[in-house]
Amino acid sequence: MRNVERLCLAHFWVAFAAFVVACVLGTWQMWVRSPLGAHLGTPGQYFMSVTAHGVAMAYVLTTFFIMGFGYFVAVTALDRPLPGKQWAWSAFWMAIIGVVMILVPIGMGQATVLFTFYPPLTASPWFYIGLVLVVVASWVWCILMLVAMREWKRENPGRPVPLAMFATVANAVMWLWTTVGVAVELLFQVIPASLGLVQTIDVGLSRTLFSWTLHAIVYFWLMPAYIAFYTMVPRAAGGRLYSDTMGRLTFILFLVYSLPVGMHHLMMDPEHGNGTKFIQMLLTAFVSIPTLLTIFTITASLEIAGRLRGGRGIFGWIAALPWQRPAVLATGLAFVMLGFGGFGGLINMGYGMNAMVHNTSWVTAHFHLIFGGSVVIMYFAIAYEIWPRLTGREHMSLAPLRLQLWLWFIGMMVMTLPWHWLGLQGQWRRVANFNYADPLIAGWGPWVIVSLAGGVVLLVSALLFAYNLFVLHRGPSMATGRQLYALAVHPPQRVPAALNGFGLWNVLVLVLMLLAYGYPLAQFAITPSPSAIVHRVY
Amino acid sequence: MAELHAGEMHERYILKTELLWAFGVGILIAATLSVIVFTALTMDVNPPSNVERIDPKTLHLSGEFAEQNLGTTVGADGSVTARVIATQFMFVPRCIAVPRGKRITLRFAAPDVIHGLLITGTNVNTMVLPGFVSQVHTEFTRTGDLLMPCHEYCGLGHSEMWAIVQVLPENEFKPGQDGRVSCAQR
Amino acid sequence: MQSDQHSDSPDEVDEAALTQVMRIVPLGAGILAGSAVALLVLGYLAIYLLVFLPRGTVG
Repeated sequence: MRNVERLCLAHFWVAFAAFVVACVLGTWQMWVRSPLGAHLGTPGQYFMSVTAHGVAMAYVLTTFFIMGFGYFVAVTALDRPLPGKQWAWSAFWMAIIGVVMILVPIGMGQATVLFTFYPPLTASPWFYIGLVLVVVASWVWCILMLVAMREWKRENPGRPVPLAMFATVANAVMWLWTTVGVAVELLFQVIPASLGLVQTIDVGLSRTLFSWTLHAIVYFWLMPAYIAFYTMVPRAAGGRLYSDTMGRLTFILFLVYSLPVGMHHLMMDPEHGNGTKFIQMLLTAFVSIPTLLTIFTITASLEIAGRLRGGRGIFGWIAALPWQRPAVLATGLAFVMLGFGGFGGLINMGYGMNAMVHNTSWVTAHFHLIFGGSVVIMYFAIAYEIWPRLTGREHMSLAPLRLQLWLWFIGMMVMTLPWHWLGLQGQWRRVANFNYADPLIAGWGPWVIVSLAGGVVLLVSALLFAYNLFVLHRGPSMATGRQLYALAVHPPQRVPAALNGFGLWNVLVLVLMLLAYGYPLAQFAITPSPSAIVHRVY
Repeated sequence: MAELHAGEMHERYILKTELLWAFGVGILIAATLSVIVFTALTMDVNPPSNVERIDPKTLHLSGEFAEQNLGTTVGADGSVTARVIATQFMFVPRCIAVPRGKRITLRFAAPDVIHGLLITGTNVNTMVLPGFVSQVHTEFTRTGDLLMPCHEYCGLGHSEMWAIVQVLPENEFKPGQDGRVSCAQR
Repeated sequence: MQSDQHSDSPDEVDEAALTQVMRIVPLGAGILAGSAVALLVLGYLAIYLLVFLPRGTVG
């Protein structure tokens, strides 16, 4: 492990520092737009905060965490040193420079375009170039993951790639595909516009290119949580993974189906018609399959653990699980939030029903619950699991870890459930202040305050999370720890090549992307949209 | 050897159960999709589906979205159309009169940046992109004033951007000589 | 370096116990996960029929 401890910790500390700052900003935002803070904060400050909050959570926390976790898995699951460690460090510093280049213009009010930066609103070029640097750094990570797997396969001919690494590489391959959309948008449309090289921009094209990235990116964020579900949680619970094969299939399905569905973010857009939107809905239904498989497989894995511990009857195994272990507790809480968040997501994708919720607080509720809730709570669990291995120290007590996880769960539910309700009432998104004098909006006030209370609980949880990791550096030295990775009920001796590599799946991705995005993108070349004037905000 | 055999039996059993589960959820997904498809076809429930281009740089000067054409008009054939511009940071007109119980076509255009809108209590929801006309058909079922906010970030004034949709009963929805209907003064 | 092949850790699973347990698994999981998904689908249909459709046709 001495190979990559510092590399992993560097990535994680950047990720979690960004996370804590973003939590502070998010809480402030909720306060100033609630009745309690109605006269505080200017729109300029509010939207600057929203931009920083979104960028920190969606681009910094995630990318750095995933890179750090990937390096950890590549070394521990494959049981060999990381190839190209110098490249990994170079990528880290390039990403750091990128983050600074993103944050400085934001702080100067020259990039108040939100993390989705929809043109024609155009920010300072430094903002976009900084983003490009972070993305390029992540591409270096992707290549290193592929190289690590390839070298292991060469040294271990015919053997199945350990599931944790197989999944990590699936995520890396998917990320390479995912970033194409936003890279093309930035390099060919937005950066030329922000440099003043062009004065107009095709908005239909930019929206469509961004949508390519916008949905698949959430699966990029989600895969580490699922890696934990399949490869760490069954061991933490004291059992086995129900099916290694289903694990491989799940990650392949994510690779294949995350990408062609991006246009369900454009259901309400005027640049695409019914036919495209209907196909998008069908494909989106397919991307629910890996999650539905996962729910069953992981629950079955937990059932094994519970019954091995003496649980009897149809549900007796649930109470028998070792809930005092953070990884197990986090999984239970994650699944509850996955239920609610998934419910919201099914409604979002529902062809006609999207009209009921688009750009309302329902959407805000959905992604905070599913990403901020189910996924990030597993990021916490992963951190708690591997930090001792990275630092060589033990948690003194697991109680503060469990408290932090419970606070996160409670805070997230209290914050997001009212938002669902408010969204159905018509409360819309990205608002600096509401006119609470209006009788309709006044009725929303109490629920906004309830939501704010949830947010404050989350902030406390976030601070406790950082504290728990921080004190671990001073904890007692670790005795021999328990094994990290789970075994399957039937550990595979051999797997078909299709479940051990990605050649076939890349072809399938290409075919699906041509089917889904081929015409919708080509139409902008055949009949370019009347272009809009670039609108600089700096 | 026996362990290997037991492992393979496990594996076959496990895959069988996974297949059973997949089949079950497949049925549920198919059923849900059928409900969506059925209602889309029979009840005219669709996302905005009209793809129509318009030059944002000139739309205020002449043609359909010139200032004098904005608002609600009743055509010679009785069809009701409302034309609204979304711009930083207001809708033009700020009050849109619509009839209760009659099919209406709402058409939106933006000359500057991306906006979006919804009408509270209804399923009317659309993005408005510079370069395209957004069109939504609907029928308002209850009289009263509805809020129509801009729901996509369009700049610092986004929070103040909203319009009122006034749903008028049949006897109050009277077009003038030019076919136009304005909001009732209250 | 930690290998995940053989271990002496306290949570090592006894193969005989595993075989025993695998007689019932995944019944509990099937019922739990199945109920959750069924609730999800019912909730979805409820919102669709009781909240969405009454808000009017749109297209």
